[in-house]
Amino acid sequence: MPDHARAQARREWANFGLFLGPALLLLFVFFVAPIVIDLVLAFTDMGRTLAVGKFTFENFERMFTRDTRLLGALGVTFVFVLLTLGIFNVTFALMLALMTTAVPPRLGAFFRAVWLLPRMSPSVVYALLWLWVVDPNERGLLNQIVINVFDMPAIDLRNNHPLLLIILANGFIGASLGMLIFTSAIRSIPEHLFHAARVDGAGAFAIVRHITLPALRWPISYMTIHQSLSLLVSFEYILLITGGGPFYDTTVFSLYAYRRAFETGEYAYGAALSLILVVIGVVAALALWRLMDMKQLLQPPRIEVH
Amino acid sequence: MNWKFGFSGMIAGALFCAATTSALAEDVVIKVWSRADRSGPLRAGNIVAAGDTLNKMLAAAGSDKRVKIELNETNAKGYDDDALDLLKAFAVDKGPDIFVLAHEWTGAFAEAGYALNLEDHITKNPELYGDIIVPLWQSVSYKGARYGVPQDSEVRMYFLNNDKLRKLGKTDKEIGAISARVDAGEFTAYDLCDLAGQAVAKGVTKFGILHRPNAGPDFQMMMEGFGNVPYDKAEAKLQASKAGMKDFFTWVKYCVDKKAFSSTNTAMSWDNIEQAAFAKEEALVFFHGVWRVTDQSKAWNLKGKEDYQKKITWINAPAGKKGGKPSNLSHPIAYAVSAKSKNKDLAAFLVGLASQPYVNTRHAVTTNHTPINYGQQAMPEVIEKGWALVAATPMLKYASFMPNSPKIGQYNSIVFKGIQGVETGRLSADAAATFVIDELGNELGKDVIIRN
Repeated sequence: MPDHARAQARREWANFGLFLGPALLLLFVFFVAPIVIDLVLAFTDMGRTLAVGKFTFENFERMFTRDTRLLGALGVTFVFVLLTLGIFNVTFALMLALMTTAVPPRLGAFFRAVWLLPRMSPSVVYALLWLWVVDPNERGLLNQIVINVFDMPAIDLRNNHPLLLIILANGFIGASLGMLIFTSAIRSIPEHLFHAARVDGAGAFAIVRHITLPALRWPISYMTIHQSLSLLVSFEYILLITGGGPFYDTTVFSLYAYRRAFETGEYAYGAALSLILVVIGVVAALALWRLMDMKQLLQPPRIEVH
Repeated sequence: MNWKFGFSGMIAGALFCAATTSALAEDVVIKVWSRADRSGPLRAGNIVAAGDTLNKMLAAAGSDKRVKIELNETNAKGYDDDALDLLKAFAVDKGPDIFVLAHEWTGAFAEAGYALNLEDHITKNPELYGDIIVPLWQSVSYKGARYGVPQDSEVRMYFLNNDKLRKLGKTDKEIGAISARVDAGEFTAYDLCDLAGQAVAKGVTKFGILHRPNAGPDFQMMMEGFGNVPYDKAEAKLQASKAGMKDFFTWVKYCVDKKAFSSTNTAMSWDNIEQAAFAKEEALVFFHGVWRVTDQSKAWNLKGKEDYQKKITWINAPAGKKGGKPSNLSHPIAYAVSAKSKNKDLAAFLVGLASQPYVNTRHAVTTNHTPINYGQQAMPEVIEKGWALVAATPMLKYASFMPNSPKIGQYNSIVFKGIQGVETGRLSADAAATFVIDELGNELGKDVIIRN
């Protein structure tokens, strides 16, 4: 190989390392390695002492033949992800984006900032606020309103409608990301399309339906996939607000796996359960990818619109 | 010039001497792991005190060696969580030399090879351990050997608020007789729920009975009244009886229906429960242990025994049926020495020093835990400040320990889930009994015997 070709190859490798190296390293350390470790652990008998005695299929045998809580946890997860996503993370986020872009810019920015506040506060603070809101006695914020304004008896959301509570708590905080993405997408729609529509006599709803929504197709698809995967594995607020209870009512699958691993010290079994979650995540991602035709999004545009 | 050299030489010499002396003076570091526990800060503190005593002895002997105690007080929410954290620390070779653990974890640490078998050390040093109350050793024994030194014991009880009982129309004579009636098997667990339910129905209190909000040893005491003995000594295994569980959960459901147990109890924080039980007096009955006397006395500004007994009545956990035996539970917290420690002997002697009457009494009287040495019971401080301990000791007649099984933590969690299921209306009595039996079988497999 001539010298200049060798130098060229070296430079290419150097560039590869320089530009892709950090990303690959992160990908390996935080994504690939944990999955590999999880995969190996799932086939061991690692318990509280972290010692591996043997490689075994026992965890899977237990999971499929004896674990009576598994299906329940999957059911709760399904309802939780579907409703949080459908009501809040996409629909409500979209409404927020539409409304805050329809009002004068400063007012819109103010409301977006308000919706972002929960994101800025630490999770524990956010969860504590919710606990105060739904406190079952008359001191809780919700009950103060229910009792004093509506003259109704105190309600106990945490015990009587725990699933609704975790959907609300996750939804209110989860809507902010969609709101930002959708807002920026709406902002990037060429202004003249709106003017032209108005000239043609389109009303506010017609503009939303025929101009804004079609332009939001890809952001909506992206948010749906991203948020379903994120909700599938998130249990932070659930753990803080209901602890997965009462009984197992709000124990989503990820929380169930966490509990098995870290609260009873059955690390191998927790790893096996997490593996199921990885499989569900991959299948859901591929299905949604296909369903939403995301491949088209990543293709180069056929014409440039300026 | 010469004097200058001489002077610098002297300084250099002095520095050299200082350096070599400090190199010769050796600090032996002993790491102590203890859960930061409001109801027993001196468990760790007494090891530090033992270190000070030892250092004074070393200084008196002219030795340059000193013991330095490095204390790691963890913020685990309970002893089960703490034990799991500690097992992980040992697994990655970050274990302490001495650790504080709830006695029922002795088996798990012994089995894992992390707790040192102290049998030899204890037998060879009777001057350190000869006065320890003999039945307490049972709590730290595993497969015939002692792996720990108990630091305290306690008495658990239902606390009945006398003022609220008076409001319910009970006379002082009736109130005074409840405890004896429980012990005689006349006043049953059902009677207790009737009484508590009455208080709620009549608006005397908001809650009937408040118990701990999380899994823990208290429930074993409740369950024993219904014939549930969690350990089969002969087989050295955990056990559960289908009939016993059914009886117990039938009672829990009865109490829930009577509103004696609240659907929110297991969702409350300890702080909420303490507020409700003490400061606000919102509960007729509070279920915990004698160390709570300190909080209660503070909340109601009670001075001494007489004052306290006017306000509060203690009872054992009543039997499930008339004529049955009441139950109590003693739950010692113990010191253990790491089998992996480089300074095992030293650590064991520190434990011995920390178990002596003077230091142990400081822990006992400040937190209302029963002392560990026979002799302590005669100490003026115990008699004067520990009146509650002396008064509660007769209740220990009905006490048992938790089984020293490595899986007892899981057993307790499952039972707790069953109780939570019934209290929150998720499970019927039968469903809860089936749930507990099934889950025990699934989770503990060969480690539990399921009986009819």
